[in-house]
Amino acid sequence: MSQNLARLAQRIDFSQGSGSEEEEAAGAEGDAQDWAGAGSSADQDDEEGLVKFQPSLWPWDSVRNNLRSALTEMCVLYDVLSIVRDKKFMTLDPVSQDALPPKQNPQTLQLISKKKSLAGAAQILLKGAERLTKSVTENQENKLQRDFNSELLRLRQHWKLRKVGDKILGDLSYRSAGSLFPHHGTFEVIKNTDIDLDKKIPEDYCPLDVQIPSDLEGSAYIKVSIQKQAPDIGDLGTVNLFKRPLPKSKPGSPHWQTKLEAAQNVLLCKEIFAQLSREAVQIKSQIPHIVVKNQIISQPFPSLQLLISLCHSSNDKKSQKSATEKQSPEDHLYVLEHNLHLLIREFHKQTLSSIMMPHPASAPFGHKRMRLSGPQAFDKNEINSLQSSEGLLEKIIKQAKHIFLRSRTAATIDSLASRIEDPQIQAHWSNINDVYESSVKVLITSQGYEQICKSIQLQLNIGVEQIRVVHRDGRVITLSHQEQELQDFLLSQMSQHQVHAVQQLAKVMGWQVLSFSNHVGLGPIESIGNASAITVASPSGDYAISVRNGPESGSKIMVQFPRNQCKDLPKSDVLQDSKWNHLRGPFREVQWNKMEGRNFVYKMELLMSALSPCLL
Amino acid sequence: MGVTCVSQMPVAEGKSVQQTVELLTRKLEMLGAEKQGTFCVDCETYHTAASTLGSQGQAGKLMYVLHNSEYPLSCFALFENGPWLIADTNFDVLMVKLKGFFQSAKASKIETRGTRYQYCDFLVKVGTVTMGPSARGISVEVEYGPCVVASDCWSLLLEFLQSFLGSHTPGAPSVFGNRHDAVYGPADTMIQYMELFNKIRKQQQVPVAGIR
Repeated sequence: MSQNLARLAQRIDFSQGSGSEEEEAAGAEGDAQDWAGAGSSADQDDEEGLVKFQPSLWPWDSVRNNLRSALTEMCVLYDVLSIVRDKKFMTLDPVSQDALPPKQNPQTLQLISKKKSLAGAAQILLKGAERLTKSVTENQENKLQRDFNSELLRLRQHWKLRKVGDKILGDLSYRSAGSLFPHHGTFEVIKNTDIDLDKKIPEDYCPLDVQIPSDLEGSAYIKVSIQKQAPDIGDLGTVNLFKRPLPKSKPGSPHWQTKLEAAQNVLLCKEIFAQLSREAVQIKSQIPHIVVKNQIISQPFPSLQLLISLCHSSNDKKSQKSATEKQSPEDHLYVLEHNLHLLIREFHKQTLSSIMMPHPASAPFGHKRMRLSGPQAFDKNEINSLQSSEGLLEKIIKQAKHIFLRSRTAATIDSLASRIEDPQIQAHWSNINDVYESSVKVLITSQGYEQICKSIQLQLNIGVEQIRVVHRDGRVITLSHQEQELQDFLLSQMSQHQVHAVQQLAKVMGWQVLSFSNHVGLGPIESIGNASAITVASPSGDYAISVRNGPESGSKIMVQFPRNQCKDLPKSDVLQDSKWNHLRGPFREVQWNKMEGRNFVYKMELLMSALSPCLL
Repeated sequence: MGVTCVSQMPVAEGKSVQQTVELLTRKLEMLGAEKQGTFCVDCETYHTAASTLGSQGQAGKLMYVLHNSEYPLSCFALFENGPWLIADTNFDVLMVKLKGFFQSAKASKIETRGTRYQYCDFLVKVGTVTMGPSARGISVEVEYGPCVVASDCWSLLLEFLQSFLGSHTPGAPSVFGNRHDAVYGPADTMIQYMELFNKIRKQQQVPVAGIR
């Protein structure tokens, strides 16, 4: 019976169909339970045998496995169904059959999907916009209350800053521009924390403050002045503290900018003065320069003093009170001060220029010819000629000398022009000058006769210590700086002009020049220059005019009359014939001051025309 | 740079080096030369290092590095009978770097120091040649400034030398040699000095007796 049952059970296929499965499962369940107890002991013994003899030894094994899996599945199904019945955690949802036709379906879906995505994007944008508006309103609120960092950024645009530890230091020296001055020139940037948040923030509040080195505080300038009279020795050492009003800073520039610029200017003035005083001590000159406290005194010309002083006034209230002295504006040579600044900047540039940068890069620094002096074995003379010899002080003194000489020359010419009316002196100064040289053209003319009498034209080249005069006739005369020399020279030229004018006038009037001399050796000796003389004869030969003109003695005019017009001539037996009475005889002086006429040449013209009878 | 003649003045009999130098300088001053400071010419010797000689075993070449106070910014490097070089003073530093190729013979550093006299166009330098602490001889250098061609002014130089050196006047220097018409340069002066120093170095024994 058992064998038959086994055979039948083997034929059962538990995987076919649900209906048959359920039936067989129900039936097999019961059988399995009965046989479970009986078969379990046989299981352990026959496990190995089962592996080898699976189909024959224990035929219920596959049945049991199948049944077991069926049981598991049934249990799961039961659990699911029980949960679904509760409808708490799982529901059964029918698939709706009445769906829309396939054509309209994607469009609506697209629309819905687009709408959703747009809404999402709009949401992001709105959030961003909200954030931006918030920050803008914040900025507007904080505009007055400037941020330390933004101020620091502004500072960085103008000045070099670096961070050392936890301090921010800046550099206001000219070292990066080529200066060799040993001052450190560092300033410190500090945060301005003394602000009372409760009170209203002041207009010029700045969260940033700069602390400049104490010796650069206040303002400074270099004063160059020329004084005629030498001050007493006791006056040396007076410290000039004329406070010049601070140069107006650009409106809108923050207060640290003005502060730093003022400090930089003080540093530059100090450098200029240090350089000048160093040279004043080192350079040997005939009259030594005196360096006292903040003044350098030198004598470019005798009885003339050049004062260069460094005027540094700090911003204390004390010094403001004391600096009430009025400074005379003529005293201050602004041009030279400006030139000092330019010269020191030029010196800075020289240390950085490409002339100094060597090609090839391995050669030492210095001027190109100096680099070549080694390989080309220059001796000492050649090396000395290469090195630039003039320092800042020498240059400034030369410039001051030139300025002084030029102004004195102008004053001399002007005083002469205003003092003497006949002949007239004109000065045409040239516009283009050099720091060491200027030129002026001086013309001596007579009023009304400029075209005729233009033989005296002088070109004056005013140098550093001398004036070189080039005459129209080619003579070159060198005058020293003494103003008396120039004055004497011009006076002598004026007297020569009168005689030259007579010569030219004679040509026009038809009179003949009998003799002419620029420097007569007869008559009284002049102290300035020489007298000149001319004798001219009338066209008919009847009369002759003789003129002698000297710078000091003035002009003397004599007219020679024919013999028959002179009444007081002694009769003599020498003259046999009466025709000899037509010759010219004695001279008679003309009272020149009683002559009519505006100036000498006019008077001379009148005289000449009076003496040449017109033939009607 | 004019034509220069460098010669050696032998030490007078029975006198020391210093006394002979004094004799010479007194003669010059009587002539009318004016003293114009001091001068110094020194010479260092280098030989090419053994490592660069190769397996042929040839003798190393000697290189002389000279300085002259007349050309303060220059340095002269010479090979005997060979090429010469004028460089700036960085050359000394370069020699230190080339220690591997050129070894200096410190013991043979030789120099001459003395006074410089100017007599119109002539520049006369009388110096004591010393090697270490001992004086070895006397060097006399005469330069005629205006001329740079040796053949043109050698006779003038000779006459001038005769006037104060007397019988110890040298013959024409070997640098004038074949190139009579070539322009004279500072390197030729240094070659003459080098030859003078070599000669003095070889005559080591004689002047030592003279000093005592």
